[in-house]
Amino acid sequence: MTDAVTPLLETRALRLGAAERVLVQGLDWAVRRGERWCVIGRNGTGKSLLLRALAGLAVPERAGGIAWQGRLQQEWPVGAAAGVRALMPQQPQDRFALSVARLLALSEVVRGPAADPHAPRTLMADLDIEALADRRADRLSGGERQRVALAQCAIQGAALMLLDEPVSFQDPGHQQVVGRWLADRPATGAWIASAHDPGWIARVATHVLALFGDGEWRAGPVAEVLREDVLERTYGCRWRAVEGSWIAE
Amino acid sequence: MDVSSPPLASPSTSARARESSTTRVALVVLVTVAVACVALALGPGGLDWELIRALRVPRVLAAAGVGSLLALAGLALQVLLRNPLADPYVLGHSGGASVGALIALLAGGSLWLGAAGGALAAGIALLWLARPALAVSDDASPRLILLGAMLAALFGAVSTLLLALVPDERLRGAIFWLVGDLSGAPASLHDLAAALVFVAFLAWRGRSVDRLMLGADAAWLLGEPVRRLRLELLVAASLAVGLAVSTAGAIGFIGLVVAQGWRLSGVLRTRELALLSALSGAALLMAADLLARIVAAPLELPVGAVMALLGAPCFIVFLARGVR
Repeated sequence: MTDAVTPLLETRALRLGAAERVLVQGLDWAVRRGERWCVIGRNGTGKSLLLRALAGLAVPERAGGIAWQGRLQQEWPVGAAAGVRALMPQQPQDRFALSVARLLALSEVVRGPAADPHAPRTLMADLDIEALADRRADRLSGGERQRVALAQCAIQGAALMLLDEPVSFQDPGHQQVVGRWLADRPATGAWIASAHDPGWIARVATHVLALFGDGEWRAGPVAEVLREDVLERTYGCRWRAVEGSWIAE
Repeated sequence: MDVSSPPLASPSTSARARESSTTRVALVVLVTVAVACVALALGPGGLDWELIRALRVPRVLAAAGVGSLLALAGLALQVLLRNPLADPYVLGHSGGASVGALIALLAGGSLWLGAAGGALAAGIALLWLARPALAVSDDASPRLILLGAMLAALFGAVSTLLLALVPDERLRGAIFWLVGDLSGAPASLHDLAAALVFVAFLAWRGRSVDRLMLGADAAWLLGEPVRRLRLELLVAASLAVGLAVSTAGAIGFIGLVVAQGWRLSGVLRTRELALLSALSGAALLMAADLLARIVAAPLELPVGAVMALLGAPCFIVFLARGVR
């Protein structure tokens, strides 16, 4: 856990597909401590599929290797894996009437004796969900539930957080709240989030992985990937940079 | 790893929660003991000690054990299938146990092993049939309930056919195998002892079972051995249903009324839920059996029919209130 050099996540010739379509091919990629990645791509280009595969969940078609902290996924015992990666799903399935506080308590995995006992309360304040602690999770609004899901993922305590669309239901104010919180994560960990707004991504991420939908991809620091030509290839429409923001045309 | 008092609620809130939980358990213990005393005291013949010892004690013990086992089996199935409306009778487990027991009896095997095997087969069949829906969305509720209801109908038909085709005087009547009956239940502490073991198992696995309620993927991501846990729940529920059915036949709706009732009143931790469900399952079936004995005395009603009169409307109310 103290090894600062080994990437938190590494993929080797990763190939993912669904319904006889190749979505990601030949992905050689590494995510290191302190890096904040956003995955961009059109709907159905495999962003959720990639995050599921990176978390170790089953996906329709998969080939190649994924390693967490230098050790192949399948070699991790299920209990230890919970300490190295956490996944925030796009749609949490609430079948029982659990309160937000209970959901968060059940999501805690890594909590040594040195852990800060106030961390959960600080987290809830940071994500503006303090007032929801006693509410039923299945009765929250989409945006509230999404921030609770983000808190669940964070409270697990894994070094690598995989976030499937953490701001898709957030109002503009809460997009900034979540963005600031994500940009402030300690450099001992890393996160990978799927997102769409290049302006938001430019403010919170250090790196971007663009999926083009045909298996091709482009990965690198924000300045190298958030460019007119790459965005146009990603989304199929023209883009214009205006005062640090991006406008689709 | 285990977190006994997460600092999410302020210390006073969690202390209050513990206090109210203790009060609740104490209250339910009192109610259960009171119901047992009333069930022992009332009935044709009044307060005759010989009558109580020879007839009512075995019957009240059987009702308590079967009620606990069915409530716990319902609780386990609700988590296993992620469906708050799951009940061993509604989903065909009890029907499978009846068929298994009848086949075992006809073949000269052990009654309760046959019943447990039948319940297990019904559970595996249901999981297998619901597999496509469970795999896609992790939310197979409407289809699951319909599949279970059809399995129950199928097993009911097989039981009826077996009874009609093999009119063996060793076999108890159709009412016993189809809706359940406690008259003539053997005097034994097996069911209560098994219920105690089941509560201990659920308490031991409490946090893992709680996490399974978040979904199979979510529980696995949190480090739970999901496959093993589901298998344990399925086997435990099947053994419980097998024991209950071999004592009292196929009695329905206890798991549904008791476990889901406590959930709706805010009890969501598996440890507390298991204890409360076992106690109130016992109380509910003792009360239903008391009604069955005294309402039309000296005639006796089958307790399974009394339970269905109570339970089926509950199911309908839960469904109408949006639980599915």
